[in-house]
Amino acid sequence: MTAVPEVHRPTPRVLVQFSHTDRRYLSLDAVEVRYEADGLGDEPVRAVEHSVLWFTEGKGEEDMGVHFFERVTDRGRLPPLAPSGQFSCRLPRSPLSYEGVIVKIRWCVRVRFFFASGRDYVSEHEFRVGGVPPARVAVAST
Amino acid sequence: MTVAGTDGVADHGPPRSNPFATRFTKPGSIPPLAADGSPLDLEPLLEQLAGGCVAITGPHGSGNTTLVRALLAAAASRGRHASYVQVRTAADGLTAVRATTTLPRAGVIAIDGWERLPLGTGPLLAAIAGWRGVTVVTTAHRDPGIPVIATCRPTPAVIVAAVERLPTHGGLIDAEDLQTAYDAHRGNIRDAFADLYDRFESRSAGGRLKRS
Repeated sequence: MTAVPEVHRPTPRVLVQFSHTDRRYLSLDAVEVRYEADGLGDEPVRAVEHSVLWFTEGKGEEDMGVHFFERVTDRGRLPPLAPSGQFSCRLPRSPLSYEGVIVKIRWCVRVRFFFASGRDYVSEHEFRVGGVPPARVAVAST
Repeated sequence: MTVAGTDGVADHGPPRSNPFATRFTKPGSIPPLAADGSPLDLEPLLEQLAGGCVAITGPHGSGNTTLVRALLAAAASRGRHASYVQVRTAADGLTAVRATTTLPRAGVIAIDGWERLPLGTGPLLAAIAGWRGVTVVTTAHRDPGIPVIATCRPTPAVIVAAVERLPTHGGLIDAEDLQTAYDAHRGNIRDAFADLYDRFESRSAGGRLKRS
C-alpha cells in the first residue's frame, strides 16, 4: 500500500467569550456565550449549530448528553453576513465536572459550521460546572 | 465528526485532555496510515470495491475498522451508496443481510466483524453481493476465505505517526514510551493507547499525587 500527501485546508478559528470569564459555573447558572469566527474561507456556510453538552473522557465507552442545541439556518445570521453569534442556556443540576483517572466529565460549548460542500468544522470550548475536586492518583511510596 | 478546534478552562490549570482517551483514538479519529506512518492512499483499494465480497484483515487493534470506515467514506464521497454494519451479536447478522439486500446497485456495505457473523451468513452475503452487484467489504482477524484487499500490520512508525495526530501530550510521553507500549502489546495499537493513557495520567497528576 502506498501513501498520499495530505490536503490542507485553511484553518478556521472560533474565539469564544463566556459570561464568566474564568469559565467556572455552578449548577443552575445561566451560561451566556458570544463567539466570533474567522478563517472560514470563501465557501458558503449553510448552517451553524450551537450546543452545550457534557461528555465523558476516558479509556472505555463514551457517554454524553446534549443539554442545549439550536441550528441556525437563517442566512442573515450566518457567515459571511454574521461571522459572530451568541447563545445562552441555564445549566442543569448535574452532572458536575469531574477530573477522574479512569473517567472525566467535561462540559463544553460547541460551535459547528456546515459548509456548502458538505464538510463541517467543529470548535469546542470547555468550561467547568461545580467544584468537585480532582481525583488523586495513588503512587507507591519510595 | 472531528473536533477541529478546542480550548480548555483558561487560567486555572487544566483540564488537559488525555490524548489517549477513547474520544481521540476511536476508529475513524485517526486516518489510516501506511507502514511508514504517512497517510494511506485509498485509491488502489477503492478500485477493488467493484462488486462481490472482499476483506480487510489484520490482528485486533491493528486498524481494520479505521480502514474500512475510511474506505466507506471515500466511496460515499464519490457518489456511491455506502452503509456500515458493526457485527456484535448474532442478531446483527440479520441486519447485515437486510442492509446488503436493500443496498442500491453499485453500493458498498461494510460488515465490520466477519467472524462474529452467524454460521452461513458470510457465504449468503457473498452470494447476495454477486447477485445484486453491490460490494461487501468486511473486516476479519483471520483468513475469511474471500479475496483480501488489504492486511493491516501496524509498525512502530504507525504508532509514532498516530500519536502525532492526537492532541498534545505536553512532552509527558517520549519515544521510548511509544516503543515500549508497541512492544508490550505486539502491535495492537488500541491496547498500546490504553497503556499510554495510564502513563499520561500518572505523569500528568502533578500536584494531585497521593502517596500510598
